[in-house]
Amino acid sequence: MSIETRLRRYILENFLFTEDEEALSNSDSFLERGIVDSTGIMEVIFFVEEEFGFSVEDEEMVPENLDSIDALVAFVGRKQAG
Amino acid sequence: MANPLPLRLSHIAARLPGKVCLVGGDRRVTFGELDAQVRSAQAAVSRRVAPGERVAVLAENSPEYVAACYGAWRAGAAVVGLNTALKAPSLAAQVRHAGANLLIVDSAHPMRGPLLNELAGTTEVLEVVQGRGFPAEGGPRGEVLTAPGDAASIIYTSGTTGHPKGVTLTHGNLAENADAIISVLGVREDDVALCVLPFQYSYGASVLNTHLAVGATVVMERSFLYPHGVLQRMVQEGATSFAGVPSTFYLLLERTELPAFDLSSLRYVTQAGGPMDPRKIREFRAAVPHVDFFVMYGQTEASARLTTLPPGDLERKEGSAGLPLPGVRMRVLDESGQAAPPGELGEVHVSGPNVMRGYWNDPEETAAVLRDGWLRTGDVGYLDEEGYLFLTGRSSEMIKSGAHRIAPGQVEEVVRAVDGVVDVAVAGIPDELLGQAVAAWVIAREPGPDLRQTILRRCAKDLPRFMVPSVVTFVESLPRTASGKVRKHLLNLPEEA
Repeated sequence: MSIETRLRRYILENFLFTEDEEALSNSDSFLERGIVDSTGIMEVIFFVEEEFGFSVEDEEMVPENLDSIDALVAFVGRKQAG
Repeated sequence: MANPLPLRLSHIAARLPGKVCLVGGDRRVTFGELDAQVRSAQAAVSRRVAPGERVAVLAENSPEYVAACYGAWRAGAAVVGLNTALKAPSLAAQVRHAGANLLIVDSAHPMRGPLLNELAGTTEVLEVVQGRGFPAEGGPRGEVLTAPGDAASIIYTSGTTGHPKGVTLTHGNLAENADAIISVLGVREDDVALCVLPFQYSYGASVLNTHLAVGATVVMERSFLYPHGVLQRMVQEGATSFAGVPSTFYLLLERTELPAFDLSSLRYVTQAGGPMDPRKIREFRAAVPHVDFFVMYGQTEASARLTTLPPGDLERKEGSAGLPLPGVRMRVLDESGQAAPPGELGEVHVSGPNVMRGYWNDPEETAAVLRDGWLRTGDVGYLDEEGYLFLTGRSSEMIKSGAHRIAPGQVEEVVRAVDGVVDVAVAGIPDELLGQAVAAWVIAREPGPDLRQTILRRCAKDLPRFMVPSVVTFVESLPRTASGKVRKHLLNLPEEA
């Protein structure tokens, strides 16, 4: 399963409670759409850390890395490459 | 008598026109610019509503929200600041319940379309574009001088779509509470508050109003999603104060390296919104020892805040919510309505110039909490020998989760509408980070993971994220009193939860 699919499935199941792929576009901002709140973002981070086996540093907790599927895919890719 | 807030803003703008009052993203707005916006908003509102009528506002924390609010006040209207996290049916129910004659809406807000659909043309709408502000529509009419007893703000704290509950605060309430807070915190003109709390909540509104009233600056951060970014912003802006709820401070402690940030400008922080673990307070103080930590306790029904624990008393009175603010009287009554002796538990009752006029158009609910000028807070606690308040729990069912207050009925209404659900009870369960989390006990025709998912999906669709239950438990029956009311304290979580 691709990084994108794993992330999408996680957000759809745990934050939108649906399997409907249409419910989330990869560029949707979690903040703007009210999908994730400040405790939700911690759950996302724990998921990413566990699923992809790296730790998210405090200074990496920025919207550029975490606020959409596109941002997350790029972030995970960078972390795995580096 | 304290001057009403809109009048004070005019005075400050005349004295400090070039001083920055609001910072949000890349925008920096001076008092002069804000005042001009307030005038345009006032003109726009005056054209559409009469003094005493209501104006609902749907916008995130922004100069436009502030201008709409103060502009409506200057036009003599009461403001209904809509909770931007709510979904359209709840928003529409509040607009209707308040009998709002005008809705000012941020044209880019995601709920704009759905809300306008719900209202179906029944309320006049004024759209505002972020960054462009209010259109100049010719010369404004004269400012309406408000009396202290006039309604200024209606804050919907809870309520199902069928029964919203709007705390009605007067100009006197807001001004008096602002002054009390300014005096205990020592808010001053050169202060810079970083605010992550929504202005639509009384706590966030109090940060905004106190700072504007003294000519200080408020830096608006959209949310606390990224604590690291919030700290960077505090450093950049030289923030002198920060207001949070317990979970905010827990996240700062757990997810940031506080001492690595240059917070030398920071004078104090305030913590309200439920009890914070005293160990965490100690930890926070150890991380930033030069910062005063004010524990505060309040209620929307009391404009914002009721007590504060002076930082010097933190150790001596650990776990206390402190002493009443200037002008506030407090007593703890036992079940028979008698004043409880020091150390004895009872319900906290308060009175003072900050106590609300009542719930909007709801004499029954008002009579249930207001009597002879005293407000039943629904909080249980005791006063010690020196009059310091210690809170131990709540007698009301309202769930306090993070910065939010959640009426169980609002969640129950949504769950009950799900096909296959026979009955439901919703209550708060202890949560390390949020204080309380939302849990639902459901009687269902065919319980199982599919129904659980359907319930959660429905909640996510109809309710803001913070109201979606963290736990859904299927049960055979709900414990009830003889009159049929669910005895929520008898609800238990399953072993595996």
